[in-house]
Formats: sequence, structure tokens, C-alpha cells
Amino acid sequence: MTTLLSLQAVTGGYGDANILHAVSMTVSDREIVVIVGPNGAGKSTAMKAVFGLLNVRGGSIRFDGDDITGWVPNKIVQRGICYVPQVDNIFREMTIHENLEMGAFLRKGDLSAAFDRVYTLFPDLKERRKTPAGSLSGGQRQMVAMGRALMLDPKLLLLDEPTAGLSPKYMEQIFQICRDVRGTGVAILLVEQHAKQALEFADRGYVLAAGQNRHEGTGANLLADREVAEMFLGG
Amino acid sequence: MDFLELVNFYIIPGLVIGSIYALGAVGITLVFAILRYAHLAHGDLATLGAFLALAVVTGFGISPLAALPIAILGTAAVAVGIDKVFYEHLRERPKIVTVMASLGIALMVRAVVQVIWGVDSESYVKGIVRPDVYFGLRIRDREIYTVIAMIALVGVLQVFLTQSKWGKAMRAMSDNPNLALLSGIDNKKVVMLTWIIAGGLCAAAGVFLGINTELKSMMGWNMLLPMFAAAILGGVGRVEGAVLGGLIVGVAEELSVLVLPSEYKAATAFAILLFMLLVRPTGLLRGKVL
Amino acid sequence: MELYGLLNYALFMGVFIGIYALLALGLNIQWGFAGLFNAGIAGFFAVGAYTSAILTSAAAEGRIGGFELPVIVGWFGAMGAAALIAWPIGKICLRFRSDYLAIATIGIAEIIRLVIKSEAELTNSARGITGLPRPFGDLDYMASQAAYLGIVLVVLAIAYVLVERQFNAPWGRMMRAIRDNEDAARAMGKNIEYRRLEAFIFGAALMGLGGALFAHFNRSITPEAIDPMVATFLVWIMLILGGSGNNRGAILGAAVVWIIWSVSEIATDQLPHEYAVKAKYIRLFLIGLLLQLVLRFRPEGILPEPLRGDLRHTKEGNRS
Ligand SMILES: Nc1ncnc2c1ncn2[C@@H]1O[C@H](COP(=O)(O)OP(=O)(O)O)[C@@H](O)[C@H]1O
Ligand SMILES: [Mg+2]
Repeated sequence: MTTLLSLQAVTGGYGDANILHAVSMTVSDREIVVIVGPNGAGKSTAMKAVFGLLNVRGGSIRFDGDDITGWVPNKIVQRGICYVPQVDNIFREMTIHENLEMGAFLRKGDLSAAFDRVYTLFPDLKERRKTPAGSLSGGQRQMVAMGRALMLDPKLLLLDEPTAGLSPKYMEQIFQICRDVRGTGVAILLVEQHAKQALEFADRGYVLAAGQNRHEGTGANLLADREVAEMFLGG
Repeated sequence: MDFLELVNFYIIPGLVIGSIYALGAVGITLVFAILRYAHLAHGDLATLGAFLALAVVTGFGISPLAALPIAILGTAAVAVGIDKVFYEHLRERPKIVTVMASLGIALMVRAVVQVIWGVDSESYVKGIVRPDVYFGLRIRDREIYTVIAMIALVGVLQVFLTQSKWGKAMRAMSDNPNLALLSGIDNKKVVMLTWIIAGGLCAAAGVFLGINTELKSMMGWNMLLPMFAAAILGGVGRVEGAVLGGLIVGVAEELSVLVLPSEYKAATAFAILLFMLLVRPTGLLRGKVL
Repeated sequence: MELYGLLNYALFMGVFIGIYALLALGLNIQWGFAGLFNAGIAGFFAVGAYTSAILTSAAAEGRIGGFELPVIVGWFGAMGAAALIAWPIGKICLRFRSDYLAIATIGIAEIIRLVIKSEAELTNSARGITGLPRPFGDLDYMASQAAYLGIVLVVLAIAYVLVERQFNAPWGRMMRAIRDNEDAARAMGKNIEYRRLEAFIFGAALMGLGGALFAHFNRSITPEAIDPMVATFLVWIMLILGGSGNNRGAILGAAVVWIIWSVSEIATDQLPHEYAVKAKYIRLFLIGLLLQLVLRFRPEGILPEPLRGDLRHTKEGNRS
């Protein structure tokens, strides 16, 4: 498997202060990688670093053969990474269909194949395509958000806590969709609060704390690690 | 006072002036929602539009309606230019700094009008137009044009916003600017488009105010408060709300004469504005509150 | 004769600079320290001018007032009246972003203008209120002008000291905390709306006082005495150019802008009438342009806001 995304010793933050301290991680083709860690560990910040939303002061970020450190989000989107933020990740006043359409904004020409693909992954959305996204339930909103990000047919999808605030049933459904998405050839890097379930379902995981790498390994290995279990999985 | 009198002397003039407010308020609501600041030079851009049309009317001897498209294009270009030269570099600063800049622009635009056209009242056509009577309703042609033009312009805008790619991009930017950027929507183009539309509608408001009343260098500034009241009454970001708000403010101003001395007509918009901020800041159609 | 004229002009200019400096100080409380946008300065100015005029003038036919109260009472009355007008506006608008306050203050200034023009029983409409007492007005002309300048300067000095003291007191620190990071201040349990209301009202009171000083200097006040838009805008450019957040900057800005404004007026008045009229608007255009240039190239003004220890360098970035 070839490496798709790699962060090498990335250091950076929002203002002058650094939030990330030499964080490194990789995601390979068609891989599902999860980042776990306590609140405020810098998980979201690591994602924003990839997406060009951070002042990166040290290290580099490579994607699919290019050094994308310092690129603007617009260019990164075009290069094949799509990002679903943790909050405010839909256009509330626009319909589901329009949300998806905005996701494909950079795409020229006929969008019907892209719509088909997303509606196949999310059949619920197709039925309600004319509904304003703001009126949907939390789980459905998350699907709209993911659908929007998938419209450009990215190589890598960044998901920031897609299951936050969802019921276990929806959580399982989102994880299943992640597997389906991976099945269409997309790699996924996601942040999860539900560390245990996420590590069970992901290929590999990273544990971040205080802006630094703490542990890494396959999901199963991390789950078996006594220290990880005590510190981050609630015993 | 019988019903017809009420309609003829208050409702009809109210709807006409309300349509003019609506044209301006739609631009204000778009700028408020997409760029996220109150644009205080909006009224004076309308003045500029009205006088640009006057130049065309006197220069080529055509009717003000025929001059309207030229005034719209000219004012839209000026609006885009003002944004590029004066507002664009303030974008990273707190929004209120741009509000301040726009107050200065209001003064500058007005000064340009005053230098070029002077401060006396002008009109597109001389003479008094008597209203025609339809089923007892007294209506002037120009009043019909005004309302129809407003409906047509706003209708076209609505189709643009709901059906076209860039129209949707404008709505997306108003809805969730961060996500719009993450989706690759070109902020600069959306901003430019917003100014083209807002500037064009300003010109239409100014020209129709000039057609129905007269042209003065203060005409637009005096409309600023009613236009903002209309935008907030309808709900910031809601185009149909701005239209509704404009019509309500226009009619309310005319009706206010029944209970207030006519000198205080202009206070109506202010009262509506404060009332809405007090009881329902999201406006009638649930807009944004910045 | 030449010298006499020049001296007279200098005294005149000094009084006006003092009055405008007071307005700029008032705006500094509102904008510089609380981030509140007041676009109706002329309205509060006019309320102050008329209030003091009504309280201190001699009785006249068909008009309320003529209480012949001491001038000092008129001045405190002016501050009180301006504050009283500011209160409800602030109460309604300060919950929102300052854009709404900007619009509402434009509105209130307009309403005040309408009231002044139409309510003859209160303001004597277009003819205005004349024959106002002036402290030391009985001295001979030059001495009286000089005495009035002295009074204006004393008032300005008192205002400056009081405002400066407030700014350095915990109150000022709290205001800056609110201005620079509203969310954090809110999280610390500060009553933001109430603090802002205080700042808005104090600022308005100073503007009212400025109006009163102006009226008594002219011994009269009429609706045409000032052009509301021009006056409001001049005060803004004074503060921004001088340095918002800096009281000395506000005063310096008032002096610089007023000197430019009135000297350019003298210069353009020499032109033939036709051009002189246009020149006024060209000057307005240029003053608007000056604001744009300052905002772009020197947003902190001539005298930047002093670093008071609690200020971070990212001050502006956090204001919203
Ligand atoms: N936009 C921001 N500006 C400044 N600091 C931020 C911002 N977002 C997050 N932080 C800070 O960065 C640190 C890490 O936050 P975040 O990456 O959101 O944590 P996590 O997602 O792991 O819970 C926290 O201390 C947080 O306060
Ligand atoms: Mg997070």
C-alpha cells in the first residue's frame, strides 16, 4: 500500500502559540485511520493543519506526491482532500441537494454521476433531497456533511468527530458508511471521541495528547495496550 | 374617509415608495448577509444612480426608463470599484471598521454628486403628471412601472439565487462562510457579484425615486433609514423579506400621517427599526442577527 | 489691525478645537474604549445645545423655557439630556453588533433634527434660541473671547482627567477586556450590555456638553448652526486620525483636523463664488478620502492606544 498522506513533525498553531508539537502521522491508500485523545489534545487542530487552516511553523505535509504545506484550502480541495469540520458542517438554509451541489462547486460539467454515487451511499438523503438541511436530525445532518465532502470524489476524506452527539444506532450507521466509502476507493482520516468503538473499526490509530504523538498502531494493538486503555479509554 | 380615499392617498403612494425602499433593502440585506456589515453608503449610491440616469436622459434625450439599464451598469461598476479600492483591504479587520469606511464613502459619493450636479432639485421630466383613474383608483403610469419593475428585478434575482450556480454560491456564503470556503467557493467572485447586484439595485431605487419625486443630493441618504428598517423588518439575508419590509415601511410611512404630524413621517422607519430590534430581531421571516 | 484679526481668529479656532476635542473624547469613550459605533454625534450635540439654551435663556413668547438658570446648570442639564436620549437607544441596540447601533444613531440624529425644526414651542424652529448668556460676556470683545477659551480649556482639562482616570481604573480595564474579547469577558461573568450602556451614556453626555459650550459661545443656537453629517464625520476623522483609544490622540486629532478644515475653508472662500461652493464639496470628498487613507495606512492613528499592560498586541483582531 502506498502512503497517501504524511505529516512529518508538524508544529504550528492558530496565533503565535504552537498547539501541535512535532506531530507525525500517515494515511495510506484506502485506509481508515483514527485519531483519538482527550479533549483539547489538538485532534481537530491536526486536521486543520492538513487542510491549510493553520500556521504551520515546522515540519511538512505531503499528499500523493506533493508537498502541500502552506497551500490554501481551495487548492487542497482541488488536489483531492475533502474535509468535514466538527461543527457547522452543513448549509442549513439550503436543501440537501443544494448542499451536495455546493460540495461539487469546483467540478465542471455534468454532476449526475457524483450525485448518483452519493445518493447510493446515503439513500435516506435522496428521498429528502428538497428538504432544507437545517431541519434534519443530527445523524442525517452528518450524512449531508459527508455527502457534500464526497461530491468532489476525493482521495482522502477528513472527518472530525462524525458521531459526536449521535445515538449508538446512528454511530454504527456512520461507521458502516465509512466502510462503504472506503470501498469506493477513498481513504479516511477521522477524529473520534468514542475511542473504543473507533479503534475497533479503524485500520490504524493514533493517540494524541497535549499536541503530541503518544501512541500509534493498529486498532487491535492499541486496544490491547494497557497504558492506552488506562489513560484514554477509561480503563 | 372612505376606503377608496384611503387606498388612493395612502396605500398606493405607500406601495410605490415601498417598492423603491424594497429595491434598496434587497441590496442591503445581501451585503449584510454575505459580507456581514451594514453598508452606510447604500443610500448615496442610489443618489449616484439617479444622477447617472439624469446625465443619460439629458445627454441623449431618452426617457428615464430607457436610461435605467445604463444607470444600473454604471452604479454596479462604481460599487465594485469602491469595494476593490476601499473595502477589500479591510476584510481581515473587524467588520465595524468597514462600516466606518462606508460612512466616509457615503460622504465622498455625495460630494461627487454635489460637485458635478450641484445641490438644487432636478427632475427627469418637467410638468405635472395627473393620475389616471381605474375603477376609482387613481394611479399614475410611473407608479405602475415602479412596482412592476421592482417585482421583475427581484423576481430575476430570486431565480438567479435559487437556480444558478453562482447564485447558490452567494446563498452558501451567506449561510456558512467557512464551509463555503472549504467547498472551494471563490470568495472574491461572490463578493464582486454581490456588489454588482447591490449596486444595480441601488441605481434602480434611485432612478425610481427620481421618477416619482425629484432628484436631490440628499435623496439617497434620506432613504437609508427606511431601507435598513425594511431589511431588518423582513429578516437580514431574506430577499423576499426585504421586499415585504420595504412595502410595509412605505405604507406605514404614508399612514403615519393620519396619527402624527407629517413632519415626522421619517420617524416611522426609525420606530419600526427599534420595535423590531426589541421584539423580534430576526425579522418577520427569520433572518440573521449579526 | 492685522494682528488683532489674527489673534481673534486664533481665539475662535481655539474655542472650536476645544469643543470638538470634547466631542472626540466622548466618541473615544464609546468607540475607542467600548467599540460602539455612534453615527449620530451631531444629534447628541444638538440636544445639549438646545437643552442648555432652554434652561438658561430669558423667557420668550410662545416658547417653553426662559428659566434663566445659571449657565452651569444649563451645562449639567445638557449632559443629562443627552444621556437620557442615549439610554433607551443603547438599551435596545447594545445587545447586538455595533452595526445596529450605527443605524439607530443615524436615526436618532435625524429625529432630533426633525424635532428641532418642527417643535416651535421648544426650540423656536428655524429662528432658534438667541440671547443666551455667556460667562464673562460683559467684558470687552477680545477679553471675553479669551475668557471663554479659558473656560473651554478648563472644561476640557477636567473631562480629560476624569476620562483618563476612568480608563486606567478597573472600569477601563474591564471595558477593554469586553471590547477585545467579548466571549472571554462574558464567560468571566461580566455584564457586557450594562458596561457598554455606561460607556455609551457617558460619551453622549460629553457630546451634549460640547453642544452647550458651542451654544453659549455663539450666544445662540439655530437648526442651521451645524451641518449634522459634516460635524459627525469630522469628529470621527478626528478620533481615528488622532488615535482611537488614546485620549491625548483624540484631542490632538481634533486640533489637527479642525485646523486643516477651517484653514482650507478660508483658502477656498477666496475663490470666485461659483467655485467656492463646489470647493466645499471637494473638501468634504477629501476629508472622506483622508479617513480611508488613515484606515488603510495608519489605523492606529497618530498617537496609538497606549499599552496598558492588559492589552494584547492582537487587540484589533479580536474585536468583532
Ligand atoms: N480557532 C482557535 N484559535 C485558537 N486556539 C484554538 C482554536 N481552536 C482550538 N484552539 C485551541 O487548540 C487546542 C486544541 O484544540 P482542538 O484541536 O480543538 O482539540 P480537540 O479537537 O483535540 O478536542 C485547545 O487548547 C484549544 O483551546
Ligand atoms: Mg475537536
